[in-house]
Amino acid sequence: MKNLSFKAVLLASLAATAAMGVVQSASAADEKYVLIHHSPDSETFWNTVKNGASLAAKEVGATVTFRNPPSGDLADMVRIIQQTTAEKPDGIIVTIPDLETVGGAIADAVAQGIPVVTMNTGTAEESKKLGALLHVGQPEYEAGKGAGERAKAEGMKSFLCVNSLFPNVAGQQRCEGFAEGLGVPLGEQMIDSGTDAAEIANRVKAYLSSHPDTSAVLTLGPMTAIPTIKALKDNGMAGDIYFATFDLNPDISQAIKDGVINFAIDQQPFLQGYLPVITLTNDLRYGVLQANSVLSGPGFVTKDNLSLVESLAGKYR
Amino acid sequence: MTTPILEMIDIQKHFGRIIALSGVSFSVMPGECHCLLGDNGAGKSTFIKTMSGAHTPTVGEMRVAGDTVHFTSPREALAAGIATVYQDLAMIPLMSVSRNFWLGREPEVGFGPLRWLDFKKADAITLEQMKQMGINLREPGQAVGTLSGGERQTVAIARAVYFGAKALILDEPTSALGVRQTANVLTTIDRVRKKGIGVVFITHNVRRAMAVGDRFTVLNRGKTLGTADRGHISSEELQSLMAGGEELAQLEASLGKTI
Amino acid sequence: MTSISTDERLKRNSLLRRALVRPELGAIGGTAAVFAFFLILAGGTQMFALDGVINWSTVSAQFIVLAVGVSLLMIAGEFDLSLGSMVGFSGMVFGLLVIHVGIPVWVAIVLTFAVCALIGTINGVLVIRTGLPSFVVTLAFMFILRGATIWSAITFNKQPVVSGISDAAAGDPIAWLFGGKAFTGLFTWLGQQGIIETYTRGTRLGQPIVDGIPMLILWAIGLVIVGQWVLTRTKFGNWIYAAGGDPQAARNVGVPVARVKVLMFIVAAICAALLGISQAIEFGSAASDRGIMTEFEAIICVVFGGALLTGGYGSVVGAALGAVIFGVVQQGLFFTNVESSLFRVFLGTILLGAVVANTYIRRSITGER
Repeated sequence: MKNLSFKAVLLASLAATAAMGVVQSASAADEKYVLIHHSPDSETFWNTVKNGASLAAKEVGATVTFRNPPSGDLADMVRIIQQTTAEKPDGIIVTIPDLETVGGAIADAVAQGIPVVTMNTGTAEESKKLGALLHVGQPEYEAGKGAGERAKAEGMKSFLCVNSLFPNVAGQQRCEGFAEGLGVPLGEQMIDSGTDAAEIANRVKAYLSSHPDTSAVLTLGPMTAIPTIKALKDNGMAGDIYFATFDLNPDISQAIKDGVINFAIDQQPFLQGYLPVITLTNDLRYGVLQANSVLSGPGFVTKDNLSLVESLAGKYR
Repeated sequence: MTTPILEMIDIQKHFGRIIALSGVSFSVMPGECHCLLGDNGAGKSTFIKTMSGAHTPTVGEMRVAGDTVHFTSPREALAAGIATVYQDLAMIPLMSVSRNFWLGREPEVGFGPLRWLDFKKADAITLEQMKQMGINLREPGQAVGTLSGGERQTVAIARAVYFGAKALILDEPTSALGVRQTANVLTTIDRVRKKGIGVVFITHNVRRAMAVGDRFTVLNRGKTLGTADRGHISSEELQSLMAGGEELAQLEASLGKTI
Repeated sequence: MTSISTDERLKRNSLLRRALVRPELGAIGGTAAVFAFFLILAGGTQMFALDGVINWSTVSAQFIVLAVGVSLLMIAGEFDLSLGSMVGFSGMVFGLLVIHVGIPVWVAIVLTFAVCALIGTINGVLVIRTGLPSFVVTLAFMFILRGATIWSAITFNKQPVVSGISDAAAGDPIAWLFGGKAFTGLFTWLGQQGIIETYTRGTRLGQPIVDGIPMLILWAIGLVIVGQWVLTRTKFGNWIYAAGGDPQAARNVGVPVARVKVLMFIVAAICAALLGISQAIEFGSAASDRGIMTEFEAIICVVFGGALLTGGYGSVVGAALGAVIFGVVQQGLFFTNVESSLFRVFLGTILLGAVVANTYIRRSITGER
């Protein structure tokens, strides 16, 4: 009998504590944000962004949901933005893959009073034009140029740019920047690799065998980097040819260690997920906002500074 | 001597080096049922297609009501009053009886580009025509697929008759049917004949032909072997003419009159 | 008119039974189930507010426009797998004509429709002449058109997107018919009366958040009405059923089966062009990846709507209902925050249920075993 009443009191107090806990988290502002990006489901880059955003949300007691058009069709993305606007969340975090196509829907969200932070693709100017609070991203052209200049400094004179990002113009801008940095005009060095791994590897091999004097390869993300690593191992050029890539993941950091990849251009997607959530929350709760946009990259990751990055690659780096 | 409604005089049809019909003479009087008997491979389908306008004869003459004709398409034959009901291509089961009945000749109301089907008229006439043929439909929207094989044949025949067929060519109408349904179709043919329409009944089954025919012609290896009136020929004779005399006599001996 | 006496032994179908047992019954049931599902799960959210409704209605309209064309073609007994590529192709042709060649938008619209109608004709004639299954012929065009879309974009515009169409279309006499909005005056007035919410800041301050009915929705409704009417109430519609049900029997009674089928290929192609042009004008850009896979989604809508894969039976309204479901589910997903994977299970189950129901209904109507 005594046992039972003791258990009952214990249960009751546990329940009360739990209830208080529920009440407590409800009194923390509990903002709802929606993060919308443009890539198809197959692009794994967004894992890091999601982890960064989710971490920030946990820290401030908000929630973030993630949406994207499954096939990468920008028309579908516009519908998602419009749908999200109708839901009236506390804030929208969105990419600008093509100003003309998605700009209208983003501007409409802003005009309905929903705070918007843009990130990843798009420029600070575009972001401002649409009325967003700020932009967190890496300017594509400059990042490409920075990489091109590094390659030129090491004596490279020609390159192959493996672009899987069509129709997103970001890919084009990266390749153009790289060409500028290298000091050569962008002609046919940019290939549309498609998004299938086997296809990418084959196209890289085909290009390299028909242009044997190519001295550098630039890939635009993990989707193109992994098959290119394989292609270079297949045709024996791994380690010989100068290889730079955008973004990071475990395979890329392994390739840096192995000497196959010379450096990775880290746009630090963690920041692209983390900072918008913090920005929106600070603005909503305390009314404070940074005065300008944030350049999340480029950060260059080489063999030398690899160790911390390695352990977090694909998760937070 | 009345003019035959449809007459084929020494028709030959060649396909390249193959001679499908090597001399066919055939005629149908209004109000008679003339049976064309032929075993499989005798040239029946080429014969039907020629009569119905799908093929043009290589040699020979065709006459409709005494006038020479030259059909270049089934539509022309149809316009001249020669209607053909094929064995398995009579009706579209998914569509209603009314829609099937009026297919190709749908009645419309309205004018200019704004014309639509006159369902009231179509359904009323369909129901009436079916009733005359002994088929009572629940409603004209009933799908042809709900009818039996014999009923479908009857609908096809009723359609041909309603739309002014003067000669009706029936290609093996009862081959796939059971006894009772066959009887229904034969009754329909009788009705049709009484309306003054000439019926060409094509079959390889002598018994059925004997049940309803006024005249009988045998087709063997692309040639007609002659015409006999009802009562002037026996089924055994017809049978042996179809199969080619001697072999059948030998077969008969071993099978003992079961054919 | 003589009165027709019926055999007293035969049951006469009750009016109710006749009204219910129809090809689109399964689709109606399925649609009701989906809406019930969303009313339960998302009834409290903005999904059924004005802007939410416009959001999924617009996506549904995208599916409906294609589904109407595909349903008529499938009832006529043929498939067209190149329609998704045609959507992208038409948008790109239109975009390049406007931006690269520089002709007025209304001329480009007319030309694009003409080009797509021509391709539909080629598809149809090839199918008829060669006797090959339309599945095969149009599969080839699926690749041809998609490849041509990407190639022409890269060749003439250096990238797979052609932008700047909004500026070019401003002020054009008929561009608004395809990507614009209707009844804008009414909605502005409603906004002023406070019945519709208005924008609170920026250049659109004071305008209603829903400023009109997107033209695509009106096109979709119009196509469904005209399509269903032509199919079930006209002579030509009877020919469509016949061409799909039994082309040889139809030919035997003088129906121009070849002409009917080619016309249906043209209709489907024009529907695809309508969608492609509307998207290009609405989004202000043409992209080479528009419309991927949409031909298969359209076929699913049509089958859901009661049609037989082999032709000769089906419903335009049923296919439109299938298209509505696609739109509701695709967008409603986000309103409910339910996992998209779970929703695919639900969608597949509804589809299966509808198709099974359709089969029983069809057997009851047509007497097939």
